[in-house]
Amino acid sequence: MANTVQTAAREDLSQTYPSPLKEFWQGFSFNKGAVAGLVFMALVLLAAVFAPLVAPHSPIEQFRDHLLTPPAWLEGGHASFLLGTDELGRDILSRLIYGARLSLLIGLSSVMMALIPGVILGLLAAFFPKVLGPMIMRLMDIMMALPSLLLAVAIVAILGPGLINTIIAIAFTALPAYVRLTRASAMTELNRDYVTASRVAGAGLIRLMFVTVLPNCMAPLIVHATMSFSSAILDAAALGFLGLGVQPPAAEWGTMLASARDYIERAWWVVTLPGLTILLSVLAINLMGDGLRDALDPKLKRAA
Amino acid sequence: MLLFLFRRLSVLIPTFLGVTLLTFGLIRMIPGDPIEVMVGERTLDPAMHAAAMHRLGLDKPLPAQYFDYLTNLLHGNFGESLITRDSVWHEFTTLFPATLELATAAMIFAVVVGLLAGVIAAIKRGSIFDHGVMGISLTGFSMPIFWWGLILIMFFSVKLGWTPVSGRLDLAYDITPRTGFMLIDSWLAERADPSANAGAFVDALKHLILPAIVLGTIPLAVIARMTRSSMLEVLREDYVRTARAKGLSPARVIFIHTLRNALIPVLTVVGLQVGTLMGGAVLTETIFSWPGIGKWLIDAIARRDYPVVQNGILIVATLIIVVNFIVDILYGIANPRIRHAK
Amino acid sequence: MSLLTIKNLSVAFGNPANPFRAVENMDLTVNQGEIVGIVGESGSGKSVTMMALMGLIDAPGRVTADELSFDGKNLLKLSARERRKIVGKDIAMIFQDPMTSLNPSYTVGYQIMEVLKVHQGLRGAKLKQRALELMEMVEIPAAKSRLDAYPHQLSGGMSQRVVIAMAIACNPKLLIADEPTTALDVTIQAQIMDLLVNLQKSQNMALIMITHDLAVVAEMADRVAVMYAGQVAELGRVPELFRQPAHPYTEALLASIPEHSKGAERLSTLPGIVPGQYDRPSGCLLSPRCPYVQERCRAERPQLTPSANGSVRCHFPLIAQPVEIRDRKVAQ
Repeated sequence: MANTVQTAAREDLSQTYPSPLKEFWQGFSFNKGAVAGLVFMALVLLAAVFAPLVAPHSPIEQFRDHLLTPPAWLEGGHASFLLGTDELGRDILSRLIYGARLSLLIGLSSVMMALIPGVILGLLAAFFPKVLGPMIMRLMDIMMALPSLLLAVAIVAILGPGLINTIIAIAFTALPAYVRLTRASAMTELNRDYVTASRVAGAGLIRLMFVTVLPNCMAPLIVHATMSFSSAILDAAALGFLGLGVQPPAAEWGTMLASARDYIERAWWVVTLPGLTILLSVLAINLMGDGLRDALDPKLKRAA
Repeated sequence: MLLFLFRRLSVLIPTFLGVTLLTFGLIRMIPGDPIEVMVGERTLDPAMHAAAMHRLGLDKPLPAQYFDYLTNLLHGNFGESLITRDSVWHEFTTLFPATLELATAAMIFAVVVGLLAGVIAAIKRGSIFDHGVMGISLTGFSMPIFWWGLILIMFFSVKLGWTPVSGRLDLAYDITPRTGFMLIDSWLAERADPSANAGAFVDALKHLILPAIVLGTIPLAVIARMTRSSMLEVLREDYVRTARAKGLSPARVIFIHTLRNALIPVLTVVGLQVGTLMGGAVLTETIFSWPGIGKWLIDAIARRDYPVVQNGILIVATLIIVVNFIVDILYGIANPRIRHAK
Repeated sequence: MSLLTIKNLSVAFGNPANPFRAVENMDLTVNQGEIVGIVGESGSGKSVTMMALMGLIDAPGRVTADELSFDGKNLLKLSARERRKIVGKDIAMIFQDPMTSLNPSYTVGYQIMEVLKVHQGLRGAKLKQRALELMEMVEIPAAKSRLDAYPHQLSGGMSQRVVIAMAIACNPKLLIADEPTTALDVTIQAQIMDLLVNLQKSQNMALIMITHDLAVVAEMADRVAVMYAGQVAELGRVPELFRQPAHPYTEALLASIPEHSKGAERLSTLPGIVPGQYDRPSGCLLSPRCPYVQERCRAERPQLTPSANGSVRCHFPLIAQPVEIRDRKVAQ
């Protein structure tokens, strides 16, 4: 008798509370902009992964007979170059598609390279507030004293331009924010009773850090990672534009704009399209970030 | 208040020392032989190489090198450019007003428009205006500003011919720099000699407007968003209800009781934007050929002018630290709870 | 003529097709110099009614009433500007949490003087003099030095005194106190209550006291309104209403006070909760929880009708006749 009552109660609960994933999706999909951003980024991701299949041409092949061809729907356009060609006769659409690979690669790897050490340093700073913590935080203050783009420019100037160095520079400049964020949320969690309970139960330092505290700091970290993904794309493009990022002939969105200034009067598509791609991608990711915040941060839920 | 000042100041000095360590280390991170890198393609005989090493103090042990570096800095010696042989400090002071003028114009644009848009969006929450402000500011926040600059040039300069493409002033004018601010200098010159310098002020203004908009775009977006959310938060506070229960006018409730408190987080954000502004200046000045600090640094990097890169970055970083310090102090003044905190 | 008359006041939120009525068919009158208590559970619409009276209900919320008049003026007809001349001057309000009710960015003195400046046009030395006077009236020690204090430098009790000083600054005819002691320490609560009652006497104000605390109402109020789910359940003079409640809900409230249950093993409680937006019964709002519920209660919503000690919203009031009359009948 008692047994049946218990099972009934348990079933009731599972019906009342949706699974975390479902609850997350409800929160996320409530934000229409976030869903639009997700769809756009899914398309970009697909295009990047299947670039060789999707792109009509090689991104570096130069069609000498078709320099600065306008997009296909304009007068003088050519059906095989949907978005036109650049000053060397390369197909812009193909370059944009291959460029997505580079941008996503830079974004993803720089986020990972900043997130992992950032979380570890942040947790250390929170768990050792006497000596190590302030030391780490002072170091981060110094790194934050420089604007991220300027620091990235300086690093690339020293290490030399290129894909790997771009990633290193961007990851390096993104690091302090992760450390601060992790430390701040870990500090609040550390005062909670469940941490004390876990400590009293004899949990070791590593367990306390990564199993007890870290999962409860994940929400702001995920939101921030999304936002720093988009700023990584922006910074990489800026470095490329300054000639310090990924080097030509590789098709990087920012690098594509580096020489575009010269064609401002003659070929608007060379100037407009790569930037528009950057803007839309970054916007899409930021929209997703807003949605993630709505869905993950219960304090801010539906607040704004 | 004094204690508060002192506490903030004590953080300032280690941060500054840390930045010197960073810029000191930066130059030593150059892969390979620094002299060869600086000299570039030319070959150098060993004697000259050793002499150069000695002249730059690179033959000493690292701690001694750092000590020398620090002593030089404290004496106001920031080294000299490898290219122009001019002192880095002098180059900086010559170019800085251009950047300051641009940054000031950008910030005024961002703060005025951003605050206004944010406040109205918060008051008219949920309206079309609110959605518009939020949409535009998110777009602005996502903007690659170097492209934004190109688009504005393409439209306003090339297509419409309203604004010049680059620089601070038309070459036809010859104006002696007095303040370093082109708007003021050109205005003074035009007043002193109206016939020779007719239209100089308007020309300077036309040169400034696009770069200022480009540089101000991201701060504008951030300020508008922050103002809105901060206003919405404060509008929900009990003391705003109290203010309304006192029978105060809506204007008084908004501007005296809400905005004052809502401005506190916005002020911090404005302070943080100074860093963004310096980063953005690098791009904006490159696009518009604006002869300021950002372009100077990028050019120095391109020419491998390492003393300029090293100490130019140091000066900029120090500047940003000082500005953030001032913002901190202002924050304390605006928020009595911080000022009185232990 | 009564100072304040509220007739058939409703406050609705949410979409117009299916609104949530936080307050429904609210009737209340307050006479000059009278203390009226409003009691009820959380969410019963006590505060919302007063916010509506103060004109503090914002756009998505809608306030409607047959009559809302104060001191001979129809508040519904006044423009926002004219209404603000009354609010804060002739009607003032004190809120629950003094720690958040004061603006952290301004000194206590500034916030008190602001009311005087706006409503009475006081300036300069006179203004400061009056502010000091007010702070002394609310028994703030060392008032002069406290003028320049910021709210975060004051204790909760001190802050509430400041809020009271602001409220009585223009000698209001009606003071509304919305649970003025809930957020305070127990020892301070009595002090603030005493202060309010003394001020009410000395200034000859009417006082509306919103509270959970029946003991407070029993002790100081002249009349009391018991609210349930946005409606007045019972309204009446204080000693009589407490001695012989006519509404089952009033009875249940009284039974939940420890003093009333001496000797009983457990305190009496009313099972269930106040109906929310979607589960409002079609009949009497108390019907799901009422121990005396009958068929008619589930089908038909009762109106507020005169009762033995005032008025009651119940089809089957617990006492059908006024106390005295019944006694007289027995005597005959």
